[in-house]
Amino acid sequence: MNEQPRTLYWIFLSLVGLVISLYVLFPVFWLFLASFKTQAELAQLPISFWPEAPTFDAYKALFSPTHQKGQLLDWPQLIGNSFFIAVSSTIIVLVFGTLAGYAFSRLNFPGRDLILGGLLISRMFQGAALLLPTYRLMSMIGLQDSLIGLVLLYSAFGLPFATWIIASSLREIPRELEESAMIDGASRLQSMVMVVLPLATPALITAAMWHFVGAWSEFAFASILLESNDHKTVTIGLASFVELFTLEFQYVGAAATIVALPIMLIFLFGQRYFTRGLLAGAVKG
Amino acid sequence: MGSVALRNIRKSYGAVEVLHGIDLDIQDGEFTVLVGPSGCGKSTLLRSIAGLETISGGDIAIDDAVINTLVPKDRDIAMVFQNYALYPHMTVAKNMGFSLRLARQSQAEIDRKVKAAAEILDLTALLDRYPRQLSGGQRQRVAMGRAIVRDPKVFLFDEPLSNLDAKLRVQMRSEIKELHQRLKTTTIYVTHDQIEAMTMADKIVVMRGGHVEQIGTPLELYDTPASVFVAGFIGSPSMNFVAASAEGGMLRIASGEVLGPVTGDVSSGREVIAGFRPEDIRLSDTGIGARVALIEPTGAETQLTLRTGDASIIMTTRDRITQSVGDTVHFSVPADKLHCFDAASELSLTNRTRPQ
Ligand SMILES: Nc1ncnc2c1ncn2[C@@H]1O[C@H](COP(=O)(O)OP(=O)(O)OP(=O)(O)O)[C@@H](O)[C@H]1O
Ligand SMILES: [Mg+2]
Repeated sequence: MNEQPRTLYWIFLSLVGLVISLYVLFPVFWLFLASFKTQAELAQLPISFWPEAPTFDAYKALFSPTHQKGQLLDWPQLIGNSFFIAVSSTIIVLVFGTLAGYAFSRLNFPGRDLILGGLLISRMFQGAALLLPTYRLMSMIGLQDSLIGLVLLYSAFGLPFATWIIASSLREIPRELEESAMIDGASRLQSMVMVVLPLATPALITAAMWHFVGAWSEFAFASILLESNDHKTVTIGLASFVELFTLEFQYVGAAATIVALPIMLIFLFGQRYFTRGLLAGAVKG
Repeated sequence: MGSVALRNIRKSYGAVEVLHGIDLDIQDGEFTVLVGPSGCGKSTLLRSIAGLETISGGDIAIDDAVINTLVPKDRDIAMVFQNYALYPHMTVAKNMGFSLRLARQSQAEIDRKVKAAAEILDLTALLDRYPRQLSGGQRQRVAMGRAIVRDPKVFLFDEPLSNLDAKLRVQMRSEIKELHQRLKTTTIYVTHDQIEAMTMADKIVVMRGGHVEQIGTPLELYDTPASVFVAGFIGSPSMNFVAASAEGGMLRIASGEVLGPVTGDVSSGREVIAGFRPEDIRLSDTGIGARVALIEPTGAETQLTLRTGDASIIMTTRDRITQSVGDTVHFSVPADKLHCFDAASELSLTNRTRPQ
């Protein structure tokens, strides 16, 4: 009976969503299309929206050794560096964040809640204010211009929030599940690995996604700490286009597309885990 | 084998002591029910036996071996939690076989034991389901299945039926009892429902404020309660209590009327609390006068509320009632059904041995 208004409402909502998406995504999409155009096509007026003759030249150029000499940074190297930094620091953050989150959620020690709150506050001091002190610190301990240095730095930045997310999700898991596992014969570590962590998967994935995306796209600290070209990351690579003699937008588009790809894949893959109600049925329903 | 001995168990949370020295002996195969009001320490005691809480003092022994410092998995006990605590990411079969898997038994062995337990509990058709696909009663059964595949020395149950509706609770009550008769595993069962305690227990332990108030068989507690607390807790509707004084071997209540002879060793002039059960009251021509305040027939039985002075007396009878509300009646209580409690300590003064 009320099918009609419902459908109208749905159409209305979809339209609003569409308009917002268009507004947000248009520049991104334009850059994406630009990566398939030629230099000449980009320069011509009036501007053409769709590439007239789509070409992969820009991508090829980014990955061709000859082109990298004078004009462009070594993109395979940049991507490798960024992956190394993002993946290693995500692993560090997950391992230590899980251990710390477990301790915060399960063990009783003095000052526990204070420290957990302090973790969140520590995040407020991030950003520009930390740039110079961090630079000085890293040079003092000889970790400037070092990928390992950046891995450690990102891990330090990422751990408080990851710990916090994981601790709060572990708190939601009924203590009895673990107690039950321990009575069933599990050690604390076994009960954590076999019972608690599978139930915390959504939180672990969220924490990992959050950190990976942050580390992958971090620019400020990378740009002041990394000096040599073979240590640079994709975000520095993207920024360096600005310094190039001509603004060759097809390269910018191709590079931006490549940089955005892992993040898009991550969200595509991770979204499913956000909504999974893994806890359903654990206790009386 | 699975006898349990508790010696002077104490447990404190910080500065607050919640168990004040519990002594208890449980024979192999016995079904023992811990009962008492909310917060009296039943769960704490059960969890201490399981090894989930560290006790602050005393000794816990299973089969004469002190297990105070053993971790839960080394105590050879199984526990069923109030919320069942099923592993949500495992099927019913995996849930039940989890302990066997941890014990590194072969898959064939695990399958055999899980299947056997599933048959006992009527879970065979549900083995591939996940907990979220089960009803409350089925989850309860899986939780029990998880306990019995282990074949432990002792089963611990913490209010396993309190999340079920009334009808299912009665059904599961008999199922657990039958299961116990079949397996004969020592069982410690926590509840705050005195009917559950009465119907299931070989031995009831009444707890109050971190102490053991009385230990006995259901009928011992019913016939010879050691205190006002136990007398009021066991039996439904509760025992009636009226203030009385002992005068020349007789119990005289506030109105001056005589309730009956003093039972036990009570000096004259002493203030006592007289107790008698609703089902022991007889309407008679003589006796204490009272006004009928309420008549509640339930079919087989009728419950009457009588007012005498400012006391309300509940009585139940299987006779058909001819009186109506407002009528004056007289009632009496047989001498051997009267209990005397000290007014100050509320401990029983009636040293009656239980009729055999
Ligand atoms: N972790 C804890 N920290 C401090 N006090 C606690 C803790 N757990 C229990 N208590 C206290 O210990 C006392 C006994 O608790 P317990 O859970 O054993 O009661 P219970 O008899 O099982 O009650 P219920 O019938 O409500 O389950 C209570 O007063 C409770 O407040
Ligand atoms: Mg309890």
